[in-house]
Amino acid sequence: MGDLNEEKKKRKIGNLGDRKMPYDYYEREYGTVPPDTKRKSFRWVSEVAYKNVHRIVARGYDTTELVEEGYGLVDILFVDFQARIPLVEEEKMLNYVMILALEDGLSMPAAISRIVAQSKTFLTQACGASVLAFGHAFGAYSAFGNRLEEYLKRAEEQGKTTKDIAKLLVEENLNDESLGVSGLMLKDPAAKRMLDRAEKLGVAGKHIAFMKEIVEAAQQISPEPVDLDMLGAIGAVMMDLGFTPEATWAILAVTRAFGAGAHYIEELERGSYTRLGQALTPREDYDGAPDRPVPDVKDRDKIAKPAQTHTAEEWKEAFEERKKIHGSGFAIIEEIEDPSKKTGIKKVGR
Amino acid sequence: MDREPVFRRKTAISYKTEEKTVLRGYDLSELAEKGYSFCDAMFVMFQNRIPTENEEKMLKYEMGVFMEHSMSPSAVAAIGVSTGRPNLPTAIAASIMTFGGVHGPGAAHGYMMNKYIERAHKEGKTLDEMAKILVDEYLDNKKPVMGLGQPQHIDSDPRAEPIHVKQEELEVGGVYLEFQRAIEKHFHARRKAEGRSYVGVNVVGAGNTALCDIGFSPNAAWCIGSVCRGFSCAAHALFNMKRGRAWGASRREPMVQMIDLSMIEYAGPDDRIVPKQQERQQYARRQKEQGEYQNWVI
Repeated sequence: MGDLNEEKKKRKIGNLGDRKMPYDYYEREYGTVPPDTKRKSFRWVSEVAYKNVHRIVARGYDTTELVEEGYGLVDILFVDFQARIPLVEEEKMLNYVMILALEDGLSMPAAISRIVAQSKTFLTQACGASVLAFGHAFGAYSAFGNRLEEYLKRAEEQGKTTKDIAKLLVEENLNDESLGVSGLMLKDPAAKRMLDRAEKLGVAGKHIAFMKEIVEAAQQISPEPVDLDMLGAIGAVMMDLGFTPEATWAILAVTRAFGAGAHYIEELERGSYTRLGQALTPREDYDGAPDRPVPDVKDRDKIAKPAQTHTAEEWKEAFEERKKIHGSGFAIIEEIEDPSKKTGIKKVGR
Repeated sequence: MDREPVFRRKTAISYKTEEKTVLRGYDLSELAEKGYSFCDAMFVMFQNRIPTENEEKMLKYEMGVFMEHSMSPSAVAAIGVSTGRPNLPTAIAASIMTFGGVHGPGAAHGYMMNKYIERAHKEGKTLDEMAKILVDEYLDNKKPVMGLGQPQHIDSDPRAEPIHVKQEELEVGGVYLEFQRAIEKHFHARRKAEGRSYVGVNVVGAGNTALCDIGFSPNAAWCIGSVCRGFSCAAHALFNMKRGRAWGASRREPMVQMIDLSMIEYAGPDDRIVPKQQERQQYARRQKEQGEYQNWVI
């Protein structure tokens, strides 16, 4: 492709020949990279499962043989995520948890599913969308679980009692959405019943014990009445069942997606589709800039103010002004990190 | 704390108050306390009823066998999404959304069966006669018969026949199983007569038949299958997030990665010069007139 590059060099393309460029753009090769024969060729590496023409095998167990032997979905969740067959009591407990997680009224996963349904989509599109509702506030099992692990580790490292570390955890995170303690279930006994059931089944361990101490600490510190909520109950039980915070997050989000599927179906059965441009946004809900004439393009330079700032002071002033513009994003502070190891570390705040 | 509904709708599925969450009239916590299983709750959710013991067993079997399928389009989607290291739910969502017209077309199979069973009813034909009509109509029109054939399990899906047998063992076979078996019989006979190879029933053909016989609608059955797969895809995504390389392109790995540059094969138009803006109008007009570009339109 030397000729083509030569011709391009003569023609000059934008700034590509600029002396500030650290390389000569016109020397760059064309064509794809030849197959790499020095390394092993690509294969889908998995510790979870494989299949061949005749079998599907998860963690060493043929899945058809598993179901023929009477194991079901709930057991196979242990197989996939923990590479083990659960105790009967553990299977019962996970069934219990999943029933409670299946439905939550018209909460966000159901609402999203219904909104997607209105656009005449596949059911799977709506169910998938419902999973996206699970973040670090709603269904925040990853954030919750990783915090529990972090403070339990601190207790061990610092030689503190779990009671002391629970107090510290609450002091440092009292208003966090993923604490597992809130005013949400003051009248609903379901969360506490779940912990009781775990104890009756003999599957309660250090996470449930720690959770109870967190509840106690929160009740002492919080100015408002608070108690164990469903996030705290499910999160602690799942971790005592051996699931990592991320596995818990995944399992509960998918469990809720079945419910979202039912909501998709009902939305179609009882509603109608929504077309592009159909939905109006009432003027009274709008509190942005007042209605104003669009300037002529030729007047642009007279009106437009450049965004560039040239000193830290100017930058700060402009930044503060921009924070006042809802929807600009300047009022949000996020720390987006690689969640490979722990997916609960994303901090979002205002 | 604001506890206003995020979305208002009349619904017959559930309600939630400060005291309880109620599914089709049953307090969810009570359902769990009384020892019902998650599969029981699925019947309550989609069918407004408590199932028989054998119906529950059938669903447990079906969901268990369908959950994990190693590398299918759904797992590949989950792994692909996870390489950018987004939050885990995005990878799971992608996997569930992979289920469309080809991968696990559960609803399509159910609608096909309902349509032809309805015709049998209207036209006074037996299920066996109608199954032959279905097979002939599909094959004459060169349309694939839903529920038959699997690109990886080329000589019989390891899950499918055992599902049929389990349905019979549990005595939860009904009109759908009879019809599906008849479809398979006529399908195999026609292919044999045409000298073509054997194509077995797949997990949709068998599983969806069982789901229909235990009372699930085509869409509910599709939901059960595709969402169920989301569990295992989450495991695949999580494995890759925790043990794999982000991006999937590292040259330091001993094995060529999923999107290593050497994995790309280009089959498009030859390398060419970008026209200057002054040349643009003439260039674009000529390109449009010559029409060669149409070979590449997708």
